[in-house]
Amino acid sequence: PPETRAAAWARPRSGPAPVTDVAELCVCDLLVAQCDVNCCCDPDCSAADFSLFTTCSVPIVTGDSRLCSQKAATYSLDVEANPPEMIFKLIDQVNPSVFCIHATNYKEALSFRSPEMPTSENFDLLLKRFGSTAFSAEPDSWNMNTDVQNPSDANETYRYEYGVPIQTADAFLRLPSPVVSSWCSDANPAGFLVNQATKCTRSVSVEECGNVQAISMLFYTNSSILAKLHEFVFQVNITVQSIVVQSLNGMRTLLNGSDVLRLPVILDELCINIVLGVSYHITYTDAGEIIEAAASFVLGAITKEALSIQQSFDISFTQVNTKPVPLSGNPGYVVGLPLRAGFQPQGYPFPSEILFAALVLNSNKYSQLTILQSTSNQDCLAAQGARTPVLFGYNMISGCQLRITAAMKCQPLTQTLLDLLKGQNFPEYVASFGNSQAQDVLDWVPIIHLRTSEQSDNERIYNPFQSACQIPISLEIEVKWTKYGSLVNPQARIVNVTATISTTTLKQLPPGRERTIPVMSSVVFTDISSPAEPGYKAWPTINVKLPFDFFFPFV
Amino acid sequence: NNKYQLSSLPLQILFYVNGIYYIFYFLVTLAMIVYKSQVFSYPDDFLARDLALLFIMAILEALRLYLGSKGNLTEEEAPLGLSLALTVGSVVLSVYFLVWQTYVLKADVILNSVLLCAYGLESVLKVMAIAAFVS
Repeated sequence: PPETRAAAWARPRSGPAPVTDVAELCVCDLLVAQCDVNCCCDPDCSAADFSLFTTCSVPIVTGDSRLCSQKAATYSLDVEANPPEMIFKLIDQVNPSVFCIHATNYKEALSFRSPEMPTSENFDLLLKRFGSTAFSAEPDSWNMNTDVQNPSDANETYRYEYGVPIQTADAFLRLPSPVVSSWCSDANPAGFLVNQATKCTRSVSVEECGNVQAISMLFYTNSSILAKLHEFVFQVNITVQSIVVQSLNGMRTLLNGSDVLRLPVILDELCINIVLGVSYHITYTDAGEIIEAAASFVLGAITKEALSIQQSFDISFTQVNTKPVPLSGNPGYVVGLPLRAGFQPQGYPFPSEILFAALVLNSNKYSQLTILQSTSNQDCLAAQGARTPVLFGYNMISGCQLRITAAMKCQPLTQTLLDLLKGQNFPEYVASFGNSQAQDVLDWVPIIHLRTSEQSDNERIYNPFQSACQIPISLEIEVKWTKYGSLVNPQARIVNVTATISTTTLKQLPPGRERTIPVMSSVVFTDISSPAEPGYKAWPTINVKLPFDFFFPFV
Repeated sequence: NNKYQLSSLPLQILFYVNGIYYIFYFLVTLAMIVYKSQVFSYPDDFLARDLALLFIMAILEALRLYLGSKGNLTEEEAPLGLSLALTVGSVVLSVYFLVWQTYVLKADVILNSVLLCAYGLESVLKVMAIAAFVS
């Protein structure tokens, strides 16, 4: 609820407390849970890694060198020993100068002060103090007790934040991805709230079916995710949400009982149950905690001749108690994102969007406004169901060829073509903004349907009474949009959507003959924004009047 | 001839040396405060406090040495006693510059410890001189 969220954010927060112990400070440790090259202070490096280093990139870590005596951590490589090992020494460094700092009674003397984090409470104060072009370097609050600014709430440091690698019990949640070449590397961590999708190649063969870890379901489900960062108390197990089995010819079927873990086995010279794709779905709360993790698998099989397979991985995040409706812009539509559309259910005065049921394989885009997708086989009746979503700003045209035989009746043919052009769920309303909510009725634009006929005037005159068969052969969707908002950051807003169906007369064919007619559908985006009119300030008038009695003696 | 002269010669020598040393101490401490304010981050209120105390110490020292010298030479115990009382104030200020200053450098430690030793020695000699004058 927004109230508790606001209360949680009202607590003053500051940046993380500075690390001052030289033995724990390591500036070259950049990779998480991995050994950095030539970084002698990295705790993730083992003795085997140290033997491959040439030098230590960080030989000494000290505090402020102006202090008279201070602790220093030195790292060096002993190349004489076999194998080379890393030597860590904690020594006392003495500054011989007579002007070295013996002591200070001023707390912020030797380190930068953690700045205050802006919250809704102190934002105005901070803006007043720091919002102008210059501000005093030493405001009165420097005498305040700096303990107030230290993060006193320990829970604050344990929440996941955007981009932080998701930790598991042993290392972190991995999303294999291609590095340099297209071969899979298992060292890519999944970042919190970072939706990623990767595809990479892995080399497998039927002989090594049971040996390669990364093609088995167990590899992706056996680690448990830490609910909070660095806290091993609460762990979330990865559950298997669904399993889809892909056969050798590419056909996919959803399995019913998805609780059983299927491990790769050799069956009839094939290796089955190898993982071709994993889709993670992580549910999180607004406090930065992970509460649920589910994985959907695509399992496949390889033959004896196969040397490598392509695996695809993706991860998506959903906040708990919300429905995962992706926005197409905030607020204006972003070019390339799908148009959001919806229906008005019976009895309700406002439109509601279709919820996205199976998060497994169906992408959300297919429930939106879609048009016919051209396939390589140009036969309209064979390519049932292939549709492509309408993306904002992309004019599209697609089509297919329809073979009409004499045996086809008018009415079923009309219905088939309408289904083909419009699809199964042609929506009634389109969102005018990329982030329009379903409750805001006025933010939705109704789709206007028009019908035109290709029949020329001559034909109409000659056959006024013959009820000709009109079949729809093209659907043209015209989306008119305008630029809305400020001049420097205009937002795209859809104003009008018109779907025009053109029909043509189907002349009765003599038996045995057939005709091929092209069926077309297109989407056109038209910018109808009126050009911005610049406004100029009125020129200043010079108001000069001579005083009344300027020419006194003479006037 | 010690029978007729009660003034303490060592005390007078110490006053003279103390005066020269204090002039050196004052100039060096002032120069170091200026150096600290340029090299380190020294907020204005801390700087004002340290400078004020240094000037107060200078005035106190001048007064103290004048009274002490006058009391010693005229063999009167009143100015000498007053000088002893002012020595307490000077000791406190010297301890401030040794321990409670904003930045205490090694040079500060050396200067102030020497000054404190001088104060200690002076106080002992003053007490002996007062005892000699009174009796």
